[in-house]
Amino acid sequence: MVMGDLVEAAERLAVIAPPSEGGELAPFVRSRMQMARIFHALKDYEKAMAACREILDPYPQNVEAANFLRSLERERLPAYRVFIKDAWLFLPSLIQGAMMTLTLVVVTMLVSPLGGLLIALGRISRIPPLSGLCWFIIWFFRGTPLLLQLFFIYYGLPSLGITLKPLTAALLGLGINYSAYLAEIIRGGIESIDHGQMEAAKAIGMTYGQAMRRVIIPQTYKRLIPPVGNEFIALIKDTALVSTIAMVELMRAADQMFNAYFNVNVLILAACIYLLFTTVFTFCFETLERRVGVYEKR
Amino acid sequence: MKNGKNTVLELRGIVKRYGSLTAVKDVSLSVAPGEKVVIIGPSGSGKSTLLRSVNMLERIDEGHILFEGRDVGYVTRKGKRVPDCQKNICRLRSEIGMVFQHFYLFPHMSVLGNVMEGPVTVKGMDKVAARELACLMLEKVGLSDKRDVFPATLSGGQKQRVAIARALAMQPKMMLFDEPTSALDPELVGEVFDTIRALAREGMTMIIVTHQMGFAREIADRVIFMENGVFVDSGKPGDFFGTCQENERISAFLSRCL
Repeated sequence: MVMGDLVEAAERLAVIAPPSEGGELAPFVRSRMQMARIFHALKDYEKAMAACREILDPYPQNVEAANFLRSLERERLPAYRVFIKDAWLFLPSLIQGAMMTLTLVVVTMLVSPLGGLLIALGRISRIPPLSGLCWFIIWFFRGTPLLLQLFFIYYGLPSLGITLKPLTAALLGLGINYSAYLAEIIRGGIESIDHGQMEAAKAIGMTYGQAMRRVIIPQTYKRLIPPVGNEFIALIKDTALVSTIAMVELMRAADQMFNAYFNVNVLILAACIYLLFTTVFTFCFETLERRVGVYEKR
Repeated sequence: MKNGKNTVLELRGIVKRYGSLTAVKDVSLSVAPGEKVVIIGPSGSGKSTLLRSVNMLERIDEGHILFEGRDVGYVTRKGKRVPDCQKNICRLRSEIGMVFQHFYLFPHMSVLGNVMEGPVTVKGMDKVAARELACLMLEKVGLSDKRDVFPATLSGGQKQRVAIARALAMQPKMMLFDEPTSALDPELVGEVFDTIRALAREGMTMIIVTHQMGFAREIADRVIFMENGVFVDSGKPGDFFGTCQENERISAFLSRCL
């Protein structure tokens, strides 16, 4: 069809008048929708939108016209305006999801260093059952996928009579997994401290526990910040895995909206939020690294 | 053997093995209050091992350690010699000061913090009193002006003096010095010796392992030459350095050291 034919077709459709009170609706709506599509094909947005509005004025509940009008408005806007509009639309849910992600990250960041320290201390202890148990925990939780662990905790434990809420299961999975990873980092940190430090602490009468708490462990902080920071950056992204156990966090929220709108901007916005988190945490760790251990500088 | 009253420390038949190597072979020693014992000898002769056995940084395989007459450190359980409960070992260590070749100051604490650490953590002294005590000890080693700096900023000699102050803050009944000047530049050795000398004048009981023969001769009440895990010879420094020429090995060692 050539352009002239299209214009002619549109003119013919325009003849169909709005129905009077109680008259039949369908032919008029169909004609205006067709007009809108024709003008859209002709890139005449004004007329296409006018056709949509002709339907919506008397019948504002018409979904087809409303959606088409919205997509026409989007097409007319420059790309950045579209992005801003999408941001307005998607951000509330994404931020809600991001808050859940942040909760998971912060709780895991508080719990896993403690868990890691306990496992590390157990691992280097000279009590065979304890060090064996801690070795096993590290071996098991580092050796299997986090996704599998989460599935096991959320879907597997109920068959053993333990049913957990999604949030509890997510925190348990992330907490144990990251404790196991940090345990090895912390153990390495402790073992990197000159053995003479332990001897000097013992020589003034400290118990093993006092020496660890007052002398050895504080010296590991500076050495631990870079590798632990690294793990925590990985953690921020690993929280996306809990979307598989019915948790609505950032990834799940983005996924839901992407499936509803098929709009790639959702994914871009989610990526931006993840990047914001990793950037802020990286900055925090760098600052912390500079502050801790000033004593090493001359 | 002397009785407990005029003996601070008594070692009876100490044996320490590392696998098939016997580092200390049936060594006995008793140290009187205020006595300064200097142990010399070539590297690997077991001097440091013996010294470290005294406050149980090394676990001995045989023998007894009597500190002020108390048999301490080890109990025999199921025919095996095992260290005593941690509480007793820690109490013993808190009464014996030790100074290491490489200082081992706590790098994350200020100089004052290093010296306060023992009294506060081990003895549970309140911080104000501990601070006062620590300042006094730092004054004793001549480092009052360094109390707020971190150890990394100190010279080797200063570090060793802080280490001595740290040991003294526990108000020990005797002091062990494990090659206190071996890691120091020659020009810094003197200040550490001055500190030890001052301590000696106060009547502190000491066992010193050193390679500095001049200092040994000057400070010792008794010099012991150790080689291959046994005491080869011992005596008053005057006699020792005078008569040792008779013993070929000792004279060879001394000629290398002097």
